[in-house]
Amino acid sequence: MLEVEDLSAGYGQTTVLRGISFTVAPGEVACVMGRNGAGKTTLLRALMGVLPKTGVVRLSGTDISQRPGHRINAAGMVWVPQEASVFPGLTVRDHLVIALQRRREEEDGIAEAGELFPVLGERLEQEAQTLSGGERKMLALAQALIVKPKVVLMDEPTEGVAPVVVEQLIPAIGAAATESAVVLVEQNIDTALALGGNAYVLEQGSIVVSGTVRDLYDGGVLEQRLAL
Amino acid sequence: MILGFLPVDSFNVIVLAAVFVLVATGLHFTFGMLNVVNLVHGELILIGAYTTLQVQKTTGNVLLGMALAPLLAGVVGLAMERGVLRFLYERPLDSLLATFGLALIIRQVVQFIFSPNPQTVRSPIGGSFLLGGFNIPWWRLVIVLVTAGLLVGVIQFLKRSRFGLQARATVANPVLAETMGINSGAVRAGLFALGSAIAGLAGAMLAPISTLNPQFGLLFLVNSFLVVIIGGKGSLRGLVVAGVVLGGTLAALQFVMSTVLAQILILAIAIVGVRVRPLLGIVREAQTKTTPAASTSASAR
Repeated sequence: MLEVEDLSAGYGQTTVLRGISFTVAPGEVACVMGRNGAGKTTLLRALMGVLPKTGVVRLSGTDISQRPGHRINAAGMVWVPQEASVFPGLTVRDHLVIALQRRREEEDGIAEAGELFPVLGERLEQEAQTLSGGERKMLALAQALIVKPKVVLMDEPTEGVAPVVVEQLIPAIGAAATESAVVLVEQNIDTALALGGNAYVLEQGSIVVSGTVRDLYDGGVLEQRLAL
Repeated sequence: MILGFLPVDSFNVIVLAAVFVLVATGLHFTFGMLNVVNLVHGELILIGAYTTLQVQKTTGNVLLGMALAPLLAGVVGLAMERGVLRFLYERPLDSLLATFGLALIIRQVVQFIFSPNPQTVRSPIGGSFLLGGFNIPWWRLVIVLVTAGLLVGVIQFLKRSRFGLQARATVANPVLAETMGINSGAVRAGLFALGSAIAGLAGAMLAPISTLNPQFGLLFLVNSFLVVIIGGKGSLRGLVVAGVVLGGTLAALQFVMSTVLAQILILAIAIVGVRVRPLLGIVREAQTKTTPAASTSASAR
């Protein structure tokens, strides 16, 4: 269970997020939606400890608000960044080994990544830098999911990816959401609808509307707020 | 003049190449990987040399001194990183100033304890062997072999060990590494301590072929930076090539001209080399490879 209470964060003197509160239970998807610049990515960066923040973040009842990133990761929260960055010079296998951090048998985790996305299993010894954009998204997602996290933060995992790849990504995200709590930043309404769950619409750093994705879509709220 | 104390013979081409590589390997960690413009590198070499001297004076055992030298230099490096430099990774000018200050302090402390007078460390292995008509001291062969062994060890350690994997990830992208569960602060501290320890080892190894004084470390500072920069920051392969080219060329030039003129020529070659491009490493990679964002958008198209 992820509980966020009155979270505020920003860059330097600029406050971007104000008074954000929500909870996500295991097996739930929380879709964070909003126009460009609303603070969606900032929210995930703050939760992951990349940005300084105020407020309380609890993971399974433990306050992790002021922990550094590696200890937030150790507590069970993982992050799939929007850019799907990779480490230059490191192979696909290296990335998976780093992600696993000895939390489970390495070969089991690597085999699971290959089952999730067979293309990764075929390219374990290839430098991750040479993967295509879609394959990098798969790697980022695999890194997050093979550790069996309590919470997964995903930043637009389907953005800029070919439809054929999106078809592979969505079931993987859906499968993750059966065990983990998922916080998903998503602009694509079809993806949000496919995954269901609650939606939180951000405007100027605050949650202005919340409800199930289906209700907000059917009621025309998403269309109005996101200018679809 | 820098390293001009070495006699001119053909084996010196190899020895001087090894010395250039040996003194630069520690800087590969602190400057090449961690990006700290580490002006205290020479004083870490100095600590290694004077530790060997002190243990020789106290116990008469030079090899024991050489074993303790990297340990003490590593501990001093770790203390500097934890106490000062870890706050300055994103502030290169401040870290330059801090390492300059730390270097001055260490040099003055060494001068206070050991006096500014020249002192000598005995070679642990005396005698020489005949090669191509020249008498080659055994200790110089040991320097070449230890440098080769150190390089193999460092390359394998960074490539195969868990710490090496974490270090390469942290250096490439500290934020991503941290959020993937790597304690990037501890990894950086480990890298700085390791680089410092290797600098200490270099000082210990080179002490017997030179005269020690508190300026000893400065002799190696400029050449260490030249080797790392020309090799391409972050590339050990580049470092070896640059060390062999610069050290070997300096030794070869000493056959036909004075040491002073040879060193000037080496500096000129280095400046041209830096102007054109580094041999290998992350600087060159950055010039030739596209960014992840660019690749992503390209693939999307």
